[in-house]
Amino acid sequence: MPGPLDEPEGNWWDQPINRREGMWLGIAGIWSVGIFGWMSGFTRFGDQNPVGETYHVSPDEFRETVQGYKEEADENEDGHLIPPDDSVYIGARRFDWDGLPAVLEVDREYDIHLGAYDVQHGFSIRPEHTLSKQINLQIFPDTEWIIPMTFDEPGTYHVICNEFCGRGHNGMHGELYVEEA
Amino acid sequence: MLGKVASHFGNDYDADGFRTCSITGLDIHRSAENHVKLFGLTAVVALIIGGIFAVTVALTRWELIGLVGEQDYYTHLSMHAWNVLIFWMVFMEIAILYVGGSMVLGRRLPLTVLAKAGWAIMVVGAIGINWSIWTAGVQEAPLLTAYVPLDIPMEFYAFAIVFLLGTTIAAVPFFATIWLEKRGAVDRTLPLVTFGAFITSIIAVQAILGGLVAFSYALIWHLGIIDTINTGVYRTLFWTIGHGSQQINLLAMITVWYFLTHVVGGAVVVSEKVSRSAFVLYLFFINLGAAHHLMVDPGLSVGWRIFNTSYAFYGAAFASMIHAFAIPAGLEAGRRQRGLGGGLFGWLSSAPWRNPVFSATIFSIILFGFMGGITGVLMGQMQLNMTWHNTFATVGHFHGTVALGTTLAFWGLLFFVIKTMFRRDYISGTLASVVPYAYAGAMGIATLAMMYMGILYGVPRRTSSVVENIPGTDFSLSAAVPLMTIFGIFAVLALLAGVLFLLVAAGSLLFGKRLSDGDDGGLLPDGGYSTDGGESVHAIEMRGTFTLCMVFLTVFVVLYVLNWYLLSQLWAIGA
Ligand code: HEM
Ligand SMILES: [Cu+2]
Ligand SMILES: [Cu+2]
Repeated sequence: MPGPLDEPEGNWWDQPINRREGMWLGIAGIWSVGIFGWMSGFTRFGDQNPVGETYHVSPDEFRETVQGYKEEADENEDGHLIPPDDSVYIGARRFDWDGLPAVLEVDREYDIHLGAYDVQHGFSIRPEHTLSKQINLQIFPDTEWIIPMTFDEPGTYHVICNEFCGRGHNGMHGELYVEEA
Repeated sequence: MLGKVASHFGNDYDADGFRTCSITGLDIHRSAENHVKLFGLTAVVALIIGGIFAVTVALTRWELIGLVGEQDYYTHLSMHAWNVLIFWMVFMEIAILYVGGSMVLGRRLPLTVLAKAGWAIMVVGAIGINWSIWTAGVQEAPLLTAYVPLDIPMEFYAFAIVFLLGTTIAAVPFFATIWLEKRGAVDRTLPLVTFGAFITSIIAVQAILGGLVAFSYALIWHLGIIDTINTGVYRTLFWTIGHGSQQINLLAMITVWYFLTHVVGGAVVVSEKVSRSAFVLYLFFINLGAAHHLMVDPGLSVGWRIFNTSYAFYGAAFASMIHAFAIPAGLEAGRRQRGLGGGLFGWLSSAPWRNPVFSATIFSIILFGFMGGITGVLMGQMQLNMTWHNTFATVGHFHGTVALGTTLAFWGLLFFVIKTMFRRDYISGTLASVVPYAYAGAMGIATLAMMYMGILYGVPRRTSSVVENIPGTDFSLSAAVPLMTIFGIFAVLALLAGVLFLLVAAGSLLFGKRLSDGDDGGLLPDGGYSTDGGESVHAIEMRGTFTLCMVFLTVFVVLYVLNWYLLSQLWAIGA
């Protein structure tokens, strides 16, 4: 009986397939198509999709935009930024988050504008009270990414950089406060 | 010393330079055998270097120990990644191409000059990469990915190109073997293992081309030939090699699975048609999967992301599920044909579990599937990726694939080679038997701990301290400390198992008893090397395998649902 080290004998293509192997092929095929369908459908009916408009911007342009936004924004008594409207700007730079700390309202949809001034960074955000709720996005120095977010729980949210951005990356941390309106 | 080394490159060959393998009966030519040994031994050297840095990396992440400070941590991590993931695996893979080509086909290795030149250029590239990482000074360490526009030494990119060119040259003798075999015999069919190796090599060529473009793009930017470099373009190019090389690891590993389950377990091929079709599916679809690294990148359309990350409707995941059935089924059918073990799992429980070649292969299959494979599909789904990307769970995923799956399969192969090609008995059969169990067990737990830390506590990868202390803030992910302790302990145990592997392997080569001609070293499967016909393979019961596959699918479904449930608990995000 030929094995995997031998040339197969005769007309191997027309050999019948074992019944259970055939069943498994069917099951695996259905599962493959099924998870594709779910992922693709979720972009229509789901509430969590890493999707938003993107624009090509130079790091300097983006820095200026964030600067303009910060000038327009109010500050609370702790010096935390209160966005003037629904747009929130966060600029990642070695090794902190420009635009944070900021104070947002719960249940309000904001457009979060993400970008970087120097190299790539990782936007990794979670509320302090439930660490398992966390979202991670990649940030580029030449792209502005506008992602809508609606925080449904008040609390302190911590942003950690989780893309290596140079020695010092370790301490790249920022905060975002979500408060009742 | 030199004599000792040289003695490992000699066996008794006939006047034409051939000898007959005492296990497989293959005609093995000296040229093929010696080059397999050369590349295999070089791979082990890389594993040792990368393994030493696994110690420093793991003991740093275990913050209780905190071995290396942040300043040096990234350098150590880069050394770990390049030596184990790239050099250990790629040198092994060239050896596997020569096994799957020349040895299985019973030919001499053609163009040995190119094999040697390729090896030398690869070694120069590897040493250069290590050197440029180590001497980066005020510049940054590349880690695996060498992302732009970080200030990474440009020599690094240059040596990466050298290494890839060396690899290409070293693969030429394999392509020549296939060409010589097929010349004038186009209607003959390659053996399955050779076919698998051939598909591996084609995918490797695609990956290497992508890598050459990516590293050249970064290099000409560092040289000032172009002024600006596009982050997203580099990432897309980089991942054609960054992930493409993982597809090479995958295919080489699957080829080794077919090979080793056959030679030491007595597996047969249950359907040539099905297994080969699965390889062809890989050929068409698997490289699209490189896009799963870009799921939470800006600037890519949803359609592009979904089509590519799913390898076009999961064509390649489907292929992997086919192998997941075909390989255990081959074992089941082959052993049932020999009358070994009845009932549902008798064929499995009666298998040679004390033979490290066998146990390493089986643990590789199981752990790759359950830990690396399932998590890979999960985190590759565009939305779920938001909860996995760049967390420690990602590190858990790829230690499931490469550190458990591929590394164990390659250890199995090395255990096999020690007896069949170096013709040495293990210095201690008991210690050799222990290695796969110890490593699979300890590394399996360490890997699980990484996954949980990432998913449940959002612990990031590529950082030297985060659960005990984030510099500059009171906040830390301290809830993950218990899991980090579990990780630390089991990582240390896994490393000790790795040391044991090296001691057994090196000890056997240096001091193992020489096996006499015709001695199979106890590796031959029970009931003989091949089955003598009887019932057709497809008619044999495969209910044991089917049951195992259903267990696998159940775990898959449960984890899938859990992951999506966790995702749906998050605040709303996305347009
Ligand atoms: C006992 C064995 C091993 C231990 C304890 C270990 C431990 C680790 C740890 C803790 C990290 C994550 C560091 C971080 O992100 O901060 C890491 C990264 C990595 N490991 Fe391992 N590892 C082992 C074996 C291997 C093997 C065998 C391979 C490949 C064949 C491998 C490939 C990698 C790669 C590619 C990275 C990512 C580097 C990067 O982020 O650029 N490891 N390892
Ligand atoms: Cu950063
Ligand atoms: Cu960073």
